[in-house]
Amino acid sequence: MRKFSSPRVGVLLLAAGLLLYPMLFTGPFYRDIGVTFLLAAISASAWNIVGGYAGQVSVGHSMFFGLGAYTPLLVYTLWGWPPIAGIPLGIVLSLALAVLIGLPTFRLTGHYFSMATIAVAELIRIFFGTWDLVGAAIGLQGPAVARSFWDLTFRGELPYYYIFLAVLGILLLVTATLERRRFGFYMRAIKASERAAKSLGVPVRGTKIKALALSAAFTSAAGSLYVIKTGFIDPDSGFGILISVQMVIVAALGGAGTLFGPLVGALILIPLQSATNSWFGGGGSGLTYILYGGIIVVIARFEPGGLFEMWQRVAPKLRKRFWSRAHAA
Amino acid sequence: MLLEARNVSKAFGTFLAVAGADLCVEEGEMIGLIGPNGAGKSTFFNCLAGETMPTAGRIVFDGVDVTRALPEARARAGIGRTFQVPTAFEDMTVLGNVMVGAFLRHPHRSDARDHARRIVELTGLRADQAARSLGTPGRKRLEIARVLATQPRLLLLDESLAGLTPSELRDAIALVRRIHEMGITIVIVEHIMEVIMSLTKRVLVFNQGHVIASGTPEQVVREEAVIEAYLGRGHRRRQEEADGRA
Repeated sequence: MRKFSSPRVGVLLLAAGLLLYPMLFTGPFYRDIGVTFLLAAISASAWNIVGGYAGQVSVGHSMFFGLGAYTPLLVYTLWGWPPIAGIPLGIVLSLALAVLIGLPTFRLTGHYFSMATIAVAELIRIFFGTWDLVGAAIGLQGPAVARSFWDLTFRGELPYYYIFLAVLGILLLVTATLERRRFGFYMRAIKASERAAKSLGVPVRGTKIKALALSAAFTSAAGSLYVIKTGFIDPDSGFGILISVQMVIVAALGGAGTLFGPLVGALILIPLQSATNSWFGGGGSGLTYILYGGIIVVIARFEPGGLFEMWQRVAPKLRKRFWSRAHAA
Repeated sequence: MLLEARNVSKAFGTFLAVAGADLCVEEGEMIGLIGPNGAGKSTFFNCLAGETMPTAGRIVFDGVDVTRALPEARARAGIGRTFQVPTAFEDMTVLGNVMVGAFLRHPHRSDARDHARRIVELTGLRADQAARSLGTPGRKRLEIARVLATQPRLLLLDESLAGLTPSELRDAIALVRRIHEMGITIVIVEHIMEVIMSLTKRVLVFNQGHVIASGTPEQVVREEAVIEAYLGRGHRRRQEEADGRA
Protein backbone atom coordinates (compact mmCIF):
# COMPACT_ATOMS: atom_id res chain seq x y z
CA MET A 1 0.00 0.00 0.00
CA ARG A 2 2.85 2.28 0.82
CA LYS A 3 4.12 2.01 -2.75
CA PHE A 4 0.83 3.20 -4.22
CA SER A 5 0.65 6.26 -2.00
CA SER A 6 4.30 7.12 -2.56
CA PRO A 7 4.32 10.84 -3.38
CA ARG A 8 7.20 10.32 -5.77
CA VAL A 9 4.99 8.39 -8.17
CA GLY A 10 2.42 11.17 -8.07
CA VAL A 11 5.04 13.81 -8.83
CA LEU A 12 6.38 11.80 -11.77
CA LEU A 13 2.89 11.32 -13.18
CA LEU A 14 2.17 15.02 -12.78
CA ALA A 15 5.43 16.01 -14.47
CA ALA A 16 4.80 13.60 -17.35
CA GLY A 17 1.25 14.89 -17.75
CA LEU A 18 2.40 18.51 -17.89
CA LEU A 19 5.20 17.71 -20.35
CA LEU A 20 2.90 15.78 -22.67
CA TYR A 21 -0.18 17.99 -22.41
CA PRO A 22 0.57 20.21 -25.46
CA MET A 23 1.32 17.10 -27.52
CA LEU A 24 -2.01 15.57 -26.66
CA PHE A 25 -4.08 18.74 -26.94
CA THR A 26 -2.83 20.57 -30.00
CA GLY A 27 -5.70 23.01 -30.57
CA PRO A 28 -4.91 26.69 -29.82
CA PHE A 29 -7.77 26.86 -27.30
CA TYR A 30 -6.29 24.04 -25.21
CA ARG A 31 -2.76 25.34 -25.51
CA ASP A 32 -3.91 28.76 -24.41
CA ILE A 33 -5.54 27.20 -21.36
CA GLY A 34 -2.29 25.34 -20.71
CA VAL A 35 -0.22 28.54 -20.74
CA THR A 36 -2.77 30.39 -18.60
CA PHE A 37 -2.78 27.50 -16.18
CA LEU A 38 1.02 27.54 -15.88
CA LEU A 39 1.08 31.28 -15.30
CA ALA A 40 -1.57 30.98 -12.56
CA ALA A 41 0.34 28.07 -11.01
CA ILE A 42 3.61 30.05 -10.99
CA SER A 43 1.99 33.16 -9.49
CA ALA A 44 0.09 31.22 -6.85
CA SER A 45 3.12 29.08 -5.96
CA ALA A 46 5.17 32.25 -5.57
CA TRP A 47 2.46 33.79 -3.37
CA ASN A 48 2.33 30.53 -1.43
CA ILE A 49 5.83 31.05 0.01
CA VAL A 50 4.84 34.04 2.12
CA GLY A 51 1.06 33.64 2.10
CA GLY A 52 0.89 29.88 2.55
CA TYR A 53 3.99 28.68 4.37
CA ALA A 54 4.59 31.79 6.48
CA GLY A 55 0.86 32.51 6.80
CA GLN A 56 1.19 36.21 5.95
CA VAL A 57 -1.80 36.63 3.66
CA SER A 58 -0.87 39.32 1.15
CA VAL A 59 -3.75 40.51 -1.01
CA GLY A 60 -1.47 42.94 -2.83
CA HIS A 61 0.90 40.65 -4.67
CA SER A 62 -0.12 42.31 -7.93
CA MET A 63 2.40 45.02 -6.95
CA PHE A 64 5.20 42.56 -7.69
CA PHE A 65 3.45 41.00 -10.67
CA GLY A 66 2.91 44.46 -12.14
CA LEU A 67 6.51 45.57 -11.59
CA GLY A 68 7.72 42.42 -13.29
CA ALA A 69 5.29 43.01 -16.14
CA TYR A 70 6.20 46.67 -16.68
CA THR A 71 10.00 46.48 -16.64
CA PRO A 72 10.45 44.28 -19.78
CA LEU A 73 8.32 46.64 -21.85
CA LEU A 74 9.89 49.68 -20.22
CA VAL A 75 13.44 48.70 -21.22
CA TYR A 76 12.10 47.98 -24.70
CA THR A 77 10.28 51.30 -24.99
CA LEU A 78 13.10 53.40 -23.53
CA TRP A 79 16.18 51.75 -24.99
CA GLY A 80 14.92 49.23 -27.52
CA TRP A 81 16.31 46.31 -25.51
CA PRO A 82 14.77 42.88 -25.84
CA PRO A 83 12.04 42.60 -23.18
CA ILE A 84 13.70 39.69 -21.35
CA ALA A 85 16.47 42.12 -20.36
CA GLY A 86 13.86 43.71 -18.11
CA ILE A 87 13.28 40.54 -16.08
CA PRO A 88 16.26 40.99 -13.70
CA LEU A 89 15.39 44.66 -13.29
CA GLY A 90 11.84 43.69 -12.33
CA ILE A 91 13.15 41.18 -9.83
CA VAL A 92 15.55 43.70 -8.28
CA LEU A 93 12.81 46.33 -8.00
CA SER A 94 10.41 43.78 -6.51
CA LEU A 95 13.00 42.69 -3.95
CA ALA A 96 13.55 46.30 -2.96
CA LEU A 97 9.80 46.89 -2.76
CA ALA A 98 9.35 43.72 -0.67
CA VAL A 99 11.86 44.94 1.91
CA LEU A 100 10.41 48.44 1.83
CA ILE A 101 6.87 47.12 2.31
CA GLY A 102 7.87 44.39 4.74
CA LEU A 103 9.67 46.60 7.24
CA PRO A 104 6.59 48.63 8.24
CA THR A 105 3.77 46.20 7.41
CA PHE A 106 5.20 43.21 9.28
CA ARG A 107 4.65 45.20 12.44
CA LEU A 108 1.02 44.40 11.65
CA THR A 109 -0.47 40.95 11.89
CA GLY A 110 -3.46 39.15 10.43
CA HIS A 111 -6.08 41.25 8.66
CA TYR A 112 -4.13 44.45 9.16
CA PHE A 113 -1.24 43.10 7.14
CA SER A 114 -3.61 41.99 4.36
CA MET A 115 -5.30 45.40 4.24
CA ALA A 116 -1.97 47.22 4.13
CA THR A 117 -0.88 45.14 1.12
CA ILE A 118 -4.13 45.91 -0.72
CA ALA A 119 -3.63 49.61 -0.07
CA VAL A 120 -0.05 49.65 -1.36
CA ALA A 121 -0.93 47.71 -4.52
CA GLU A 122 -3.81 50.07 -5.25
CA LEU A 123 -1.60 53.12 -4.69
CA ILE A 124 0.94 51.78 -7.17
CA ARG A 125 -1.81 50.98 -9.69
CA ILE A 126 -3.21 54.51 -9.47
CA PHE A 127 0.27 56.01 -9.63
CA PHE A 128 1.19 54.04 -12.77
CA GLY A 129 -2.10 55.12 -14.33
CA THR A 130 -0.97 58.75 -14.20
CA TRP A 131 2.77 58.32 -14.87
CA ASP A 132 3.65 59.24 -18.46
CA LEU A 133 6.97 57.38 -18.52
CA VAL A 134 5.10 54.08 -18.21
CA GLY A 135 2.35 55.08 -20.64
CA ALA A 136 -0.09 56.26 -17.95
CA ALA A 137 -3.56 54.76 -18.40
CA ILE A 138 -2.77 53.39 -21.86
CA GLY A 139 0.17 51.27 -20.78
CA LEU A 140 3.09 49.91 -22.75
CA GLN A 141 3.46 47.82 -25.89
CA GLY A 142 6.14 45.29 -26.80
CA PRO A 143 7.78 44.63 -30.18
CA ALA A 144 5.08 43.84 -32.74
CA VAL A 145 7.30 41.45 -34.67
CA ALA A 146 10.38 39.68 -33.42
CA ARG A 147 13.54 41.63 -34.29
CA SER A 148 15.67 38.69 -33.14
CA PHE A 149 15.23 35.45 -31.30
CA TRP A 150 15.81 37.31 -28.02
CA ASP A 151 12.54 39.18 -28.32
CA LEU A 152 10.91 35.80 -27.63
CA THR A 153 7.98 36.69 -29.82
CA PHE A 154 6.72 33.35 -30.98
CA ARG A 155 3.82 32.64 -33.26
CA GLY A 156 2.38 29.67 -31.43
CA GLU A 157 1.85 28.96 -27.73
CA LEU A 158 4.16 25.97 -27.60
CA PRO A 159 7.49 27.72 -26.79
CA TYR A 160 5.79 29.80 -24.08
CA TYR A 161 4.28 26.67 -22.60
CA TYR A 162 7.67 25.04 -22.10
CA ILE A 163 9.39 28.20 -20.88
CA PHE A 164 6.63 28.67 -18.28
CA LEU A 165 6.80 25.01 -17.33
CA ALA A 166 10.55 25.29 -16.75
CA VAL A 167 10.07 28.31 -14.48
CA LEU A 168 7.34 26.50 -12.55
CA GLY A 169 9.69 23.54 -12.16
CA ILE A 170 12.47 25.75 -10.80
CA LEU A 171 10.09 27.50 -8.40
CA LEU A 172 8.73 24.22 -7.03
CA LEU A 173 12.25 22.85 -6.67
CA VAL A 174 13.35 25.92 -4.71
CA THR A 175 10.23 25.71 -2.53
CA ALA A 176 10.70 21.98 -1.91
CA THR A 177 14.30 22.56 -0.87
CA LEU A 178 13.47 25.42 1.48
CA GLU A 179 10.50 23.54 2.92
CA ARG A 180 12.84 20.96 4.40
CA ARG A 181 15.36 23.42 5.76
CA ARG A 182 15.44 25.66 8.79
CA PHE A 183 13.81 28.48 6.83
CA GLY A 184 10.81 26.26 6.01
CA PHE A 185 10.39 25.15 9.63
CA TYR A 186 10.64 28.75 10.80
CA MET A 187 7.99 29.90 8.31
CA ARG A 188 5.55 27.22 9.45
CA ALA A 189 6.29 27.95 13.10
CA ILE A 190 5.51 31.63 12.54
CA LYS A 191 2.27 30.72 10.81
CA ALA A 192 1.20 28.51 13.71
CA SER A 193 2.17 30.82 16.57
CA GLU A 194 4.40 33.86 16.40
CA ARG A 195 4.60 34.03 20.15
CA ALA A 196 5.83 30.46 20.48
CA ALA A 197 8.22 30.90 17.54
CA LYS A 198 9.80 33.95 19.19
CA SER A 199 10.22 32.08 22.46
CA LEU A 200 12.29 29.48 20.60
CA GLY A 201 14.59 32.13 19.14
CA VAL A 202 13.03 32.30 15.68
CA PRO A 203 13.89 35.69 14.13
CA VAL A 204 10.27 36.36 13.20
CA ARG A 205 10.57 39.64 11.32
CA GLY A 206 13.68 38.64 9.40
CA THR A 207 12.10 35.35 8.34
CA LYS A 208 8.94 37.11 7.18
CA ILE A 209 10.89 39.64 5.15
CA LYS A 210 13.01 36.92 3.54
CA ALA A 211 9.85 34.98 2.68
CA LEU A 212 8.21 38.07 1.20
CA ALA A 213 11.34 38.91 -0.82
CA LEU A 214 11.61 35.43 -2.29
CA SER A 215 7.90 35.37 -3.02
CA ALA A 216 8.12 38.82 -4.63
CA ALA A 217 11.02 37.79 -6.86
CA PHE A 218 9.12 34.86 -8.33
CA THR A 219 5.86 36.81 -8.60
CA SER A 220 7.78 39.46 -10.53
CA ALA A 221 9.14 36.75 -12.84
CA ALA A 222 5.57 35.58 -13.40
CA GLY A 223 4.58 39.11 -14.41
CA SER A 224 7.52 39.27 -16.82
CA LEU A 225 6.56 35.97 -18.42
CA TYR A 226 3.00 37.17 -18.80
CA VAL A 227 4.03 40.35 -20.57
CA ILE A 228 6.59 38.67 -22.81
CA LYS A 229 3.81 36.46 -24.08
CA THR A 230 1.06 39.09 -24.44
CA GLY A 231 3.33 42.00 -25.45
CA PHE A 232 1.08 44.51 -23.75
CA ILE A 233 0.54 45.87 -20.24
CA ASP A 234 -1.66 48.52 -18.62
CA PRO A 235 -2.23 49.41 -14.95
CA ASP A 236 -5.23 47.10 -14.53
CA SER A 237 -3.75 44.00 -16.11
CA GLY A 238 -0.52 44.54 -14.13
CA PHE A 239 -1.60 45.88 -10.74
CA GLY A 240 -5.34 45.12 -10.67
CA ILE A 241 -6.72 43.62 -7.47
CA LEU A 242 -8.07 40.64 -9.39
CA ILE A 243 -4.48 39.57 -10.07
CA SER A 244 -3.76 39.48 -6.34
CA VAL A 245 -7.05 37.81 -5.50
CA GLN A 246 -6.50 35.11 -8.10
CA MET A 247 -3.20 34.12 -6.47
CA VAL A 248 -4.85 33.83 -3.06
CA ILE A 249 -7.79 31.82 -4.38
CA VAL A 250 -5.75 29.44 -6.52
CA ALA A 251 -3.44 28.70 -3.59
CA ALA A 252 -6.22 28.41 -1.01
CA LEU A 253 -8.34 26.21 -3.27
CA GLY A 254 -5.57 23.67 -3.69
CA GLY A 255 -4.08 24.09 -0.25
CA ALA A 256 -2.04 27.07 0.96
CA GLY A 257 1.24 26.12 2.59
CA THR A 258 1.62 22.86 0.67
CA LEU A 259 4.07 22.37 -2.19
CA PHE A 260 1.56 21.28 -4.83
CA GLY A 261 -1.53 23.00 -3.45
CA PRO A 262 -1.34 26.03 -5.76
CA LEU A 263 -0.74 23.80 -8.76
CA VAL A 264 -3.80 21.71 -7.93
CA GLY A 265 -5.81 24.89 -7.42
CA ALA A 266 -4.78 26.23 -10.83
CA LEU A 267 -5.56 22.87 -12.40
CA ILE A 268 -9.17 23.25 -11.26
CA LEU A 269 -9.76 26.99 -11.41
CA ILE A 270 -8.24 27.89 -14.79
CA PRO A 271 -10.23 25.43 -16.93
CA LEU A 272 -13.33 26.46 -14.99
CA GLN A 273 -12.61 30.10 -15.69
CA SER A 274 -11.92 29.48 -19.38
CA ALA A 275 -15.15 27.52 -19.63
CA THR A 276 -17.29 30.26 -18.06
CA ASN A 277 -15.58 32.86 -20.22
CA SER A 278 -16.24 30.95 -23.42
CA TRP A 279 -19.82 30.13 -22.48
CA PHE A 280 -20.76 33.67 -21.61
CA GLY A 281 -18.42 35.47 -24.01
CA GLY A 282 -17.21 38.98 -23.33
CA GLY A 283 -20.28 39.74 -21.22
CA GLY A 284 -19.08 37.17 -18.71
CA SER A 285 -16.06 39.07 -17.40
CA GLY A 286 -17.98 40.02 -14.23
CA LEU A 287 -18.56 36.32 -13.71
CA THR A 288 -14.94 35.90 -12.67
CA TYR A 289 -15.66 37.94 -9.54
CA ILE A 290 -18.74 35.88 -8.80
CA LEU A 291 -16.79 32.67 -9.31
CA TYR A 292 -14.02 33.89 -7.00
CA GLY A 293 -16.50 35.01 -4.38
CA GLY A 294 -18.29 31.67 -4.48
CA ILE A 295 -15.03 29.75 -4.14
CA ILE A 296 -13.92 31.87 -1.17
CA VAL A 297 -17.19 31.15 0.62
CA VAL A 298 -17.06 27.42 -0.06
CA ILE A 299 -13.40 27.00 0.95
CA ALA A 300 -13.78 29.10 4.09
CA ARG A 301 -16.91 27.24 5.17
CA PHE A 302 -16.13 23.63 4.32
CA GLU A 303 -12.48 23.08 3.58
CA PRO A 304 -10.18 25.77 5.01
CA GLY A 305 -7.18 23.52 4.41
CA GLY A 306 -7.88 23.34 0.68
CA LEU A 307 -8.42 20.36 -1.59
CA PHE A 308 -4.95 18.95 -1.00
CA GLU A 309 -5.61 18.54 2.71
CA MET A 310 -9.04 17.09 1.99
CA TRP A 311 -7.42 14.56 -0.32
CA GLN A 312 -4.91 13.58 2.35
CA ARG A 313 -7.80 12.96 4.72
CA VAL A 314 -10.02 11.13 2.27
CA ALA A 315 -7.46 9.15 0.26
CA PRO A 316 -6.51 6.61 2.97
CA LYS A 317 -10.20 5.81 3.55
CA LEU A 318 -10.85 5.38 -0.16
CA ARG A 319 -7.80 3.19 -0.50
CA LYS A 320 -8.91 1.04 2.41
CA ARG A 321 -12.34 0.61 0.90
CA PHE A 322 -10.85 -0.21 -2.48
CA TRP A 323 -8.53 -2.82 -0.98
CA SER A 324 -11.17 -4.50 1.16
CA ARG A 325 -13.41 -4.74 -1.88
CA ALA A 326 -10.57 -6.14 -3.99
CA HIS A 327 -9.88 -8.75 -1.33
CA ALA A 328 -13.53 -9.69 -1.05
CA ALA A 329 -13.74 -10.26 -4.79
CA MET B 1 24.92 34.58 39.61
CA LEU B 2 23.04 33.39 36.53
CA LEU B 3 20.00 35.65 36.74
CA GLU B 4 19.61 38.81 38.70
CA ALA B 5 16.35 40.75 38.63
CA ARG B 6 16.51 43.96 40.65
CA ASN B 7 13.58 46.10 41.67
CA VAL B 8 11.48 44.97 38.70
CA SER B 9 8.14 46.78 38.37
CA LYS B 10 5.43 46.60 35.78
CA ALA B 11 2.55 49.05 35.65
CA PHE B 12 -0.50 48.78 33.43
CA GLY B 13 -1.78 52.33 33.48
CA THR B 14 -2.09 53.16 37.17
CA PHE B 15 -2.28 49.52 38.22
CA LEU B 16 1.00 48.18 39.55
CA ALA B 17 1.05 44.47 38.66
CA VAL B 18 4.59 43.93 39.91
CA ALA B 19 6.06 46.33 42.47
CA GLY B 20 9.81 46.21 42.90
CA ALA B 21 10.36 42.47 42.81
CA ASP B 22 13.86 41.05 43.32
CA LEU B 23 15.06 37.63 42.29
CA CYS B 24 18.56 36.20 42.26
CA VAL B 25 19.13 32.76 40.83
CA GLU B 26 22.38 30.86 41.14
CA GLU B 27 23.42 28.46 38.41
CA GLY B 28 21.91 25.02 39.08
CA GLU B 29 19.13 26.21 41.39
CA MET B 30 15.43 25.40 41.10
CA ILE B 31 13.21 28.18 42.35
CA GLY B 32 9.44 28.37 42.70
CA LEU B 33 7.25 31.43 42.23
CA ILE B 34 3.92 31.07 44.00
CA GLY B 35 1.05 33.27 45.01
CA PRO B 36 -2.71 33.54 44.68
CA ASN B 37 -4.38 34.42 41.36
CA GLY B 38 -3.56 37.93 40.18
CA ALA B 39 -0.59 38.21 42.52
CA GLY B 40 1.72 39.34 39.73
CA LYS B 41 3.80 36.20 39.41
CA SER B 42 2.87 35.65 35.78
CA THR B 43 3.60 39.27 34.91
CA PHE B 44 6.95 39.02 36.67
CA PHE B 45 7.60 35.78 34.81
CA ASN B 46 6.81 37.46 31.50
CA CYS B 47 9.24 40.25 32.35
CA LEU B 48 11.94 37.62 32.79
CA ALA B 49 10.99 35.94 29.49
CA GLY B 50 10.93 39.19 27.52
CA GLU B 51 7.25 39.00 26.71
CA THR B 52 6.54 42.19 28.68
CA MET B 53 8.97 45.01 29.24
CA PRO B 54 9.22 46.09 32.86
CA THR B 55 8.43 49.74 33.54
CA ALA B 56 11.30 49.91 36.03
CA GLY B 57 14.16 47.78 37.25
CA ARG B 58 16.94 45.75 35.73
CA ILE B 59 17.32 42.14 34.61
CA VAL B 60 20.82 40.77 34.17
CA PHE B 61 21.41 37.33 32.73
CA ASP B 62 24.89 35.85 32.91
CA GLY B 63 26.42 39.30 33.31
CA VAL B 64 24.54 40.83 30.38
CA ASP B 65 21.72 43.34 30.81
CA VAL B 66 18.68 41.84 29.07
CA THR B 67 16.04 44.19 30.50
CA ARG B 68 15.05 45.42 27.04
CA ALA B 69 15.96 42.30 25.03
CA LEU B 70 13.23 40.72 22.88
CA PRO B 71 12.05 37.15 23.52
CA GLU B 72 14.00 35.80 20.52
CA ALA B 73 17.20 37.46 21.77
CA ARG B 74 16.68 35.95 25.22
CA ALA B 75 16.21 32.53 23.69
CA ARG B 76 19.54 32.95 21.92
CA ALA B 77 21.15 34.10 25.17
CA GLY B 78 19.97 30.88 26.84
CA ILE B 79 16.66 31.73 28.54
CA GLY B 80 13.92 29.27 27.61
CA ARG B 81 10.28 29.44 28.59
CA THR B 82 7.06 27.49 28.32
CA PHE B 83 3.54 28.89 28.08
CA GLN B 84 0.69 28.44 30.52
CA VAL B 85 -1.58 27.54 27.62
CA PRO B 86 0.46 25.20 25.38
CA THR B 87 0.94 26.54 21.86
CA ALA B 88 1.97 23.60 19.68
CA PHE B 89 2.72 24.08 15.99
CA GLU B 90 -0.41 22.14 15.10
CA ASP B 91 0.39 21.21 11.51
CA MET B 92 3.74 19.63 12.33
CA THR B 93 4.71 16.35 13.92
CA VAL B 94 6.15 16.18 17.42
CA LEU B 95 9.62 15.89 15.89
CA GLY B 96 8.97 18.91 13.64
CA ASN B 97 7.92 20.97 16.64
CA VAL B 98 11.06 20.05 18.55
CA MET B 99 13.23 20.66 15.47
CA VAL B 100 12.08 24.30 15.39
CA GLY B 101 13.73 24.64 18.79
CA ALA B 102 16.74 22.56 17.80
CA PHE B 103 17.50 24.77 14.78
CA LEU B 104 18.54 27.56 17.15
CA ARG B 105 21.87 25.85 17.92
CA HIS B 106 21.97 23.44 14.96
CA PRO B 107 21.36 25.29 11.69
CA HIS B 108 21.75 22.16 9.58
CA ARG B 109 18.73 19.99 9.14
CA SER B 110 20.32 16.62 9.92
CA ASP B 111 22.03 17.93 13.08
CA ALA B 112 18.80 19.55 14.21
CA ARG B 113 16.89 16.35 13.58
CA ASP B 114 19.36 14.20 15.51
CA HIS B 115 19.32 16.60 18.42
CA ALA B 116 15.52 16.80 18.34
CA ARG B 117 15.24 13.00 18.35
CA ARG B 118 17.32 12.78 21.51
CA ILE B 119 15.10 15.35 23.22
CA VAL B 120 11.90 13.61 22.07
CA GLU B 121 13.22 10.36 23.55
CA LEU B 122 14.20 12.04 26.80
CA THR B 123 10.74 13.54 27.23
CA GLY B 124 8.96 10.30 26.39
CA LEU B 125 7.07 11.54 23.34
CA ARG B 126 6.52 9.84 19.98
CA ALA B 127 8.46 11.55 17.20
CA ASP B 128 6.08 10.92 14.31
CA GLN B 129 2.87 11.76 16.14
CA ALA B 130 0.92 14.73 14.76
CA ALA B 131 0.99 17.60 17.24
CA ARG B 132 -2.72 18.24 16.76
CA SER B 133 -3.55 14.75 18.04
CA LEU B 134 -1.84 15.31 21.41
CA GLY B 135 -3.86 15.63 24.62
CA THR B 136 -3.12 18.09 27.42
CA PRO B 137 -0.31 16.09 29.07
CA GLY B 138 1.33 15.50 25.68
CA ARG B 139 1.09 19.17 24.80
CA LYS B 140 2.67 20.22 28.08
CA ARG B 141 5.45 17.74 27.48
CA LEU B 142 5.91 18.99 23.91
CA GLU B 143 6.26 22.55 25.21
CA ILE B 144 9.05 21.41 27.48
CA ALA B 145 10.70 19.30 24.76
CA ARG B 146 10.63 22.15 22.26
CA VAL B 147 12.28 24.65 24.58
CA LEU B 148 14.79 22.06 25.83
CA ALA B 149 15.91 21.66 22.23
CA THR B 150 17.11 25.29 22.29
CA GLN B 151 19.60 24.18 24.97
CA PRO B 152 18.70 26.82 27.55
CA ARG B 153 20.81 27.49 30.63
CA LEU B 154 17.78 28.87 32.43
CA LEU B 155 14.36 27.34 31.97
CA LEU B 156 11.24 29.27 32.94
CA LEU B 157 8.27 26.95 33.42
CA ASP B 158 4.87 28.67 33.49
CA GLU B 159 2.40 26.30 35.15
CA SER B 160 3.69 23.49 33.00
CA LEU B 161 2.22 20.95 35.37
CA ALA B 162 -1.24 22.42 35.87
CA GLY B 163 -4.26 20.45 34.74
CA LEU B 164 -2.67 17.01 34.99
CA THR B 165 -4.02 13.93 36.74
CA PRO B 166 -2.07 12.69 39.79
CA SER B 167 -0.23 10.00 37.83
CA GLU B 168 0.56 12.37 34.95
CA LEU B 169 1.75 14.84 37.56
CA ARG B 170 4.17 12.28 39.01
CA ASP B 171 5.64 11.65 35.55
CA ALA B 172 5.90 15.37 34.87
CA ILE B 173 7.65 16.02 38.19
CA ALA B 174 10.11 13.25 37.36
CA LEU B 175 10.76 14.89 33.99
CA VAL B 176 11.42 18.30 35.56
CA ARG B 177 13.83 16.61 38.01
CA ARG B 178 15.65 14.94 35.16
CA ILE B 179 15.99 18.27 33.35
CA HIS B 180 17.34 19.86 36.52
CA GLU B 181 19.85 17.04 36.89
CA MET B 182 21.10 17.85 33.39
CA GLY B 183 22.41 21.05 34.92
CA ILE B 184 19.67 23.39 33.74
CA THR B 185 18.62 26.10 36.17
CA ILE B 186 14.85 26.27 36.60
CA VAL B 187 12.38 28.92 37.70
CA ILE B 188 8.91 27.46 38.01
CA VAL B 189 5.57 29.22 38.44
CA GLU B 190 3.04 26.89 39.93
CA HIS B 191 -0.32 26.88 41.65
CA ILE B 192 -0.03 23.39 43.04
CA MET B 193 1.76 23.51 46.39
CA GLU B 194 2.55 19.82 46.22
CA VAL B 195 4.64 20.38 43.11
CA ILE B 196 6.55 23.28 44.62
CA MET B 197 7.10 21.42 47.90
CA SER B 198 8.51 18.36 46.20
CA LEU B 199 10.65 20.12 43.60
CA THR B 200 12.14 23.33 44.94
CA LYS B 201 14.39 24.31 47.79
CA ARG B 202 13.57 28.01 47.61
CA VAL B 203 10.35 29.83 46.78
CA LEU B 204 9.20 33.41 46.35
CA VAL B 205 5.65 34.22 47.36
CA PHE B 206 3.89 37.01 45.48
CA ASN B 207 0.88 38.93 46.66
CA GLN B 208 -0.59 42.06 45.09
CA GLY B 209 2.56 42.70 43.12
CA HIS B 210 4.93 42.38 46.06
CA VAL B 211 7.23 39.59 47.11
CA ILE B 212 5.84 38.95 50.59
CA ALA B 213 8.01 36.02 51.58
CA SER B 214 10.91 33.91 50.47
CA GLY B 215 12.71 30.90 51.82
CA THR B 216 12.33 27.13 51.79
CA PRO B 217 8.83 25.89 50.98
CA GLU B 218 8.48 24.59 54.54
CA GLN B 219 9.35 28.01 55.93
CA VAL B 220 7.05 30.10 53.77
CA VAL B 221 3.92 28.02 54.28
CA ARG B 222 4.18 28.78 58.00
CA GLU B 223 4.54 32.53 57.53
CA GLU B 224 1.60 34.65 58.60
CA ALA B 225 1.64 36.84 55.49
CA VAL B 226 1.54 33.84 53.18
CA ILE B 227 -1.35 32.20 55.01
CA GLU B 228 -3.23 35.48 54.92
CA ALA B 229 -2.56 35.98 51.23
CA TYR B 230 -3.83 32.55 50.39
CA LEU B 231 -6.63 32.04 52.89
CA GLY B 232 -7.67 35.56 53.85
CA ARG B 233 -7.25 37.63 57.01
CA GLY B 234 -9.98 35.83 58.93
CA HIS B 235 -8.51 32.41 58.53
CA ARG B 236 -6.29 32.36 61.63
CA ARG B 237 -9.08 33.78 63.81
CA ARG B 238 -11.59 31.23 62.58
CA GLN B 239 -9.03 28.51 63.07
CA GLU B 240 -8.46 29.60 66.69
CA GLU B 241 -12.18 29.82 67.36
CA ALA B 242 -12.62 26.33 66.01
CA ASP B 243 -9.76 25.12 68.22
CA GLY B 244 -11.26 26.91 71.24
CA ARG B 245 -14.58 25.16 70.78
CA ALA B 246 -12.92 21.78 70.44
